[in-house]
Amino acid sequence: MNVLFDNFWALLGIKLLLIVLVVMTTALVVIYAELKLGAHFQHRIGPYFAGGRWGWAQPLADALKFLQKEDIIPAAADRVVFKAAPMVSLMAYFAVVVIIPFSPRLVVQDLDVGIFYALAAGSLGTLGVLMAGWSSANKYSLMGGLRAAAQLIAYELPLVLAVVGVVIQAGTMSMVGIVEAQAEPAFHLGSVGIPLPFVLQGQLIGFIIFMIAMLAELSRTPFDLPMAESELVMGYLTEYSGLRFTMFFLAEYAGIFVMSALVSTLFLGGYFLPGLPSNVFGPVILMGKTSVIIFLIIWFRWTWPRVREDQLQGFAWRWLVPLALANLAVTATLKVVF
Amino acid sequence: MTESPFDAAQEAPAREALADAAARFADLAGSSDFTFEHGTIKLRVERDGWIPAHEALRTELPFFSWLAGVDWARDVAVGDPPVAEDLEDHYEVMSCLADVTVGASVILSVDLPKDDATLETLTPVYGGAEWHEREAHEMFGIDFRGHPNLVKLYLPDGFEGHPLRKSFPLLSREVKPWPGTVDVEDMPSTENPEAGDRS
Amino acid sequence: MTMDPRAAMHHSEVAVSVELQTPDMTLNLGPQHPSTHGVLRLVAQVDGERVESVEPVVGYMHRGYEKLAEVRTYPQITALVNRIDWTSGFANEIAFVVGAERLMGIEAPPRAQWIRLILTEMARMANHLVFVSSYPLELGATTPMFYALHERERVLDLIEGVTGGRFHPNFNRIGGVKPAAGGGSSQKKLAQDLPKGFIDETRFAMEKVFEICDTMDKLIVGNEIFRGRTIGVGVIPPDQALAYGVSGPNMRATGIDFDIRKVDDYLPYSEFDFDVPVGENGDCFDRYMMRLHEIRQSARIILQALDTLPSGPLQAKVPRIIKIPRGEIYVRSENPKGEMGYHIISEGGRGPYRLKVRTASFSNLSVLQWLLAGVLIPDIIAILGSLDFVLGDVDR
Repeated sequence: MNVLFDNFWALLGIKLLLIVLVVMTTALVVIYAELKLGAHFQHRIGPYFAGGRWGWAQPLADALKFLQKEDIIPAAADRVVFKAAPMVSLMAYFAVVVIIPFSPRLVVQDLDVGIFYALAAGSLGTLGVLMAGWSSANKYSLMGGLRAAAQLIAYELPLVLAVVGVVIQAGTMSMVGIVEAQAEPAFHLGSVGIPLPFVLQGQLIGFIIFMIAMLAELSRTPFDLPMAESELVMGYLTEYSGLRFTMFFLAEYAGIFVMSALVSTLFLGGYFLPGLPSNVFGPVILMGKTSVIIFLIIWFRWTWPRVREDQLQGFAWRWLVPLALANLAVTATLKVVF
Repeated sequence: MTESPFDAAQEAPAREALADAAARFADLAGSSDFTFEHGTIKLRVERDGWIPAHEALRTELPFFSWLAGVDWARDVAVGDPPVAEDLEDHYEVMSCLADVTVGASVILSVDLPKDDATLETLTPVYGGAEWHEREAHEMFGIDFRGHPNLVKLYLPDGFEGHPLRKSFPLLSREVKPWPGTVDVEDMPSTENPEAGDRS
Repeated sequence: MTMDPRAAMHHSEVAVSVELQTPDMTLNLGPQHPSTHGVLRLVAQVDGERVESVEPVVGYMHRGYEKLAEVRTYPQITALVNRIDWTSGFANEIAFVVGAERLMGIEAPPRAQWIRLILTEMARMANHLVFVSSYPLELGATTPMFYALHERERVLDLIEGVTGGRFHPNFNRIGGVKPAAGGGSSQKKLAQDLPKGFIDETRFAMEKVFEICDTMDKLIVGNEIFRGRTIGVGVIPPDQALAYGVSGPNMRATGIDFDIRKVDDYLPYSEFDFDVPVGENGDCFDRYMMRLHEIRQSARIILQALDTLPSGPLQAKVPRIIKIPRGEIYVRSENPKGEMGYHIISEGGRGPYRLKVRTASFSNLSVLQWLLAGVLIPDIIAILGSLDFVLGDVDR
């Protein structure tokens, strides 16, 4: 075993395989959750037959169906970019998983600049969307891609500013470090140290800003303008079919999982839960927290209408950015004072 | 037949009120020929008086309801011909105006000769006339002078003919009779008036 | 870049760089587009997200009813007209049948009129329930659709129970309504003219309808995003509405207090107590609220009509072959979408010499070109949806 783990390339291969498996599986689970939860929000039953019970195999059946579909590339499309776009979108989220700690030791690579890397890599997903929109040679796709780009620029800033608050409080950019900082006792009740996640340690506003900006990054309702099926048909996805559509589809749900895991790690204490050994239960705890966030995201999707482009921009620049800056100032002041 | 609610005695005040209203609107519109049968006030105006009549009525009847043409022709390809023997072939253009307080509604009517079916456009007076005039233009071939965009509304580009003219046959029915004709009732303009009278 | 003052006003909100002169893009929305409700086509000149001008193209669904009516008998035309606006089929028949009756000098017996009125209000309810649920869909909210359509199904079931048809009842006869199947002679008073249990089921359904209206109030009307997307968007001023013949809830949203049900007597509405909701601003939000309130008012009317339902025959005496004496008449009715009217010109035959069909959606949509100049692309959809049109009603 040790021979295998000591070899850099062998270890890298194992890690990559694990990442792909974890992300793919969770994406399928999130898709299933979306189908089933959405159905129940709407007084429907949802998937029922596939897999024998509760329709658990519905995402797999859908994936198989998509694989059999004809792969259509529009004649006027920029073929190389058109083909590369879904891969870029999907790879971006794979890249983020690398730094998410599932337990103190179960992390692919605990980078010193972990969160910085995650935000940079996560934004690449939008690049894939822009590529798809531009290369499809379709006006609806183009508008969808442009909307995605505008949205990225507007919401990346509050997203980063919200994270900076956490980084200041934790004093590190390493993801494991951030979790460990939340495992430290925040205050003492008698002789018992009470650890608190950052969301309860004055980062509530940061958490809300991060959630909102995250929805925009993921193009989820109420910020699903790049797709906006009632306006832009399917936005940047209009010309995609078959396997490439599946990749975008997976990327969307992989993105939901990855971003939710980020929120859990940054604000909710990640793999840490007081009283439970993190080394054993870490992955379960993180998945539990992530599920709550995913549930919220799905809930928003099936409840709210969509905002308009100018409202989206106005909200980011007039409210979120100033609020995030204020939050940052308060956090920094408190950090210096105490 | 039961007694008509419109010629019953208790309806007399309503009828009088209608007559008054009709006379008043006719006076406003400068029309000397008006009817108010069945609760429908209809004012006939001259072609020159078409726009002035609308302008005069606009303050009282601001709601533009519709505009439509009628093809009065003796020689018809579809349906029944008109009854009047001395009818001169012509187009009639009607517009319906209404108010939005007490519910008065007036139909203005103008006759156009077939060889010179042109009329001043209503669009400056009632903006809503635009689509209606386009429809009347394609359906009857009536020309509305000064219309901003007198192109086909419903019909595809390159469509020939004016479908609502009485001379325009329903081609699909020429090829194959409508299956409904075998039923108890016969259709307008079929040759067998006795077919339906069995009871 | 030339633009009218309205467009410039919009520009103040989101300043598009005016110095950057870029050629406008022609965006073709429809005839196959998810939000054009069928086959409407909008040719829009857009500058980024900004719409410079829109040219609506209609006629993809033109079925030539006015020509068809000239080769049909009067009883056959009732079957044609309820296909014009298929979301409220029953309401379409009323004005035509009443027009034919008035030309013949007959009147439907009270019970038939009451049944007509109940079913007309149900058609209005069904239409408005589709609207209040599908309009959020245009703004991106999918769930209300399922809630409201569930209740609409109840209403359609009731209509089906009486008439046998959900969308195209074809239930009105000249001189009354169709007797129940197997009911025998139309002149007899029939015990089975309404299906068994109809009244109780209707009362129950009306309770549910009130409930769904409250649910929509909570779910949609109070939503900040919904309000942000609709308030102040697509404002039609009253004078513009009148000049373009915009009618029904769209007109009332502009603040004009006018309902044909209150001034005409095509159905005995004067017997019932109901309010006409009137808006203030004429924007998308007001248009939405008009319909939501009208559902409640329709339920009120139906409950009152059930209490006062007279007994008696369903049909006036009419000749076996219906021939209408010479004459012409214009009868209009307050349809769910606005003023629906029929101008019948009879030359004494079995069918009309000319039948002009005035449909609400046609006039409501004709204001579109004026209304859409200078808005944003998402607003096209928001405004389009709020006008509540059906392409069958536009193209006839």
